[in-house]
Amino acid sequence: MRILDFLDKDCIELDVKSKTKKEVIEELVEMLVKKGVILDRKTTIDSLMEREELGSTGVGQGIAIPHSKTKGVKELIAAFGVSKAGVDFDALDGEQVNIFFLLLAPEGAAGLMLKALARVSNFLKNKYYRRKILAATDKAAVIQTIEEEEKTKQEPLLFCPGEGPG
Amino acid sequence: MNYSIEQILFIGALLAIAAIFASKISERFGVPALLLFLGIGMLAGSEGPGGIFFENIALSKFVGIIALVFILFYGGLDTRWSSIKSVMKEGIAVATIGVIITAGTLGILIYFFLKLPFMQSLLLGAIISSTDAAAVFSILRSKGISLKGRIRPLLEFDSASNDPMAVFLTMTLIRLMTAKGVSVPSLLPELLLQMGVGFLAGVLGGRLVIFIINKINLYYEGLYPVLVVTMALFIYAGTTYIKGSGFLAVYIAGLVVGNGRMIHKRNIVRFNESIAWFMQIVMFIVLGLLVYPSRLLPVMGQGAVAALLLMFVARPLSIFINLSFSGYTVREKLMISWVGLLGAVPIILATFPLAAGVEGGEMIFNMVFFVVLLSALFQGSTIAFVAKLLKVNAPLSEQRKYPLEFEQMAGIDADLNEVIIPFGSDVAGKRVFELGVPQGCVITMISRGENFIIPNGTTVLEEGDVMLVMAEKEAVKQLEAGVAKQKEAVKGNS
Repeated sequence: MRILDFLDKDCIELDVKSKTKKEVIEELVEMLVKKGVILDRKTTIDSLMEREELGSTGVGQGIAIPHSKTKGVKELIAAFGVSKAGVDFDALDGEQVNIFFLLLAPEGAAGLMLKALARVSNFLKNKYYRRKILAATDKAAVIQTIEEEEKTKQEPLLFCPGEGPG
Repeated sequence: MNYSIEQILFIGALLAIAAIFASKISERFGVPALLLFLGIGMLAGSEGPGGIFFENIALSKFVGIIALVFILFYGGLDTRWSSIKSVMKEGIAVATIGVIITAGTLGILIYFFLKLPFMQSLLLGAIISSTDAAAVFSILRSKGISLKGRIRPLLEFDSASNDPMAVFLTMTLIRLMTAKGVSVPSLLPELLLQMGVGFLAGVLGGRLVIFIINKINLYYEGLYPVLVVTMALFIYAGTTYIKGSGFLAVYIAGLVVGNGRMIHKRNIVRFNESIAWFMQIVMFIVLGLLVYPSRLLPVMGQGAVAALLLMFVARPLSIFINLSFSGYTVREKLMISWVGLLGAVPIILATFPLAAGVEGGEMIFNMVFFVVLLSALFQGSTIAFVAKLLKVNAPLSEQRKYPLEFEQMAGIDADLNEVIIPFGSDVAGKRVFELGVPQGCVITMISRGENFIIPNGTTVLEEGDVMLVMAEKEAVKQLEAGVAKQKEAVKGNS
């Protein structure tokens, strides 16, 4: 699975303006709405906020990966945002969050979501790529960074369950 | 007569298989399994159709002790700390002072009613004063019996922990009868020492087992339960060696291990359950073989009197005295008195005077055997009935059929949630069991980079791992909070 399979260039925002968790999520979802991949805006946002209540998806090091399996979408999609100022996202390490990677998958697509999350977290775990993302001045630089990282990943040799939906 | 190895194995296996089939009867008719096992041994014995000659007292005692170790250890493993915490005070009183009162009262009554020599009467009283954990546990856990509130935990705690006291009383009396110059007051500190050392050794031993299991990282998973079993024997023997009560130690160790957090726990508990069953079967068959039914006949009358005195006077008296300031009602106390089931322990103890050559030893052994039979048959098979009579029975639906088979399964609220191990999390580098996964929460899969991992307790977590968790909301929150804790001094660098 490649990140660029579910992240579209149009769904990247390098200048996130929002100042709160709710606003950030709304701003990111809005990009997907414009792209026409969201079936129901409210359901989508509600389910993302519900997930945040179980525990913040701000996983530390200035990264947040808000995600949800929801009726609001019919395929795995993502939105990417960078806030230069940083947002208080209740992150688990208490730091401000700068990089947002929002993931949505259809209800019941647990395997797909699991795979995508691991892929994203594996990418953002690396300090080198985080720095490059923060330094990016245009969307192409972000895409380039992701491509660079994905080249280092070999496709697994064995069949992986969860490639299909659910 | 000498038997070949194949003959011994063939007959032994046949008897054990018969015993396992017989357990089905026990389940259906509420006859204690131990009676059926004993019966099989007696039928196979020299006076039954089997005609096997067996009179090895030393071997019987050896088998009995090993069996007792595993029965007590498993008893501890299978006891939830939370259930006995509420009966701690009463349990300790009944298991110590209670045994002394029962033994003393019974000894004096036997002396007056049966006109036996005084010391022999006391010895008999002491031997049959301890209730049997194997019998009590198997009956209380069988289908068809369910007791209200705090009755069962007290009975289980009592039966599992009163053996050391009975063992001590028996050995003391034997010493008084066989050696000169031993005085009763000098033995009291010894008793306290035995109990104290036994308790401490049990706690430390149990902790040691947990520590080793979690740290040793064995390549072969099958070795974990074996390690625990051998540790149980080690704790028993080691404690006895340093003059503590080995039986108490092994029970306490089981309690500590059973309530601790460790990997492969379910396997370990299951394995010990099987061993406990196996040892029970072996032990009762051996004891059945050992006894000569014809020699029971002459003591039947006296045995019956002793049994009645125990069931209706000595045990109730002891229970009522010990529980006089507890919250138990009269009905509950009567019920507790009635479940004074005897079992293997008295029979094993009865081999002690036999082995020590105490005067009247054989008479005592036969009488004890008969009293145990009566107790198991008469009290054991009427527990459900008496419980109903006293209105202390609980609805049967609360019974778990297989107490160890399933863990509490999450309810319908359970959902699949993804939980990410945060960057810099304190749990990174630790193993799954160290997370303290909340009740009703199952980690079904871990997704890491390109791979899926089916986790077990020893799977080491990494930051950025995504766990697929089946749990209800509260449990997910707990788990989230658990993984959220950051490692010290790693902020801003990974």
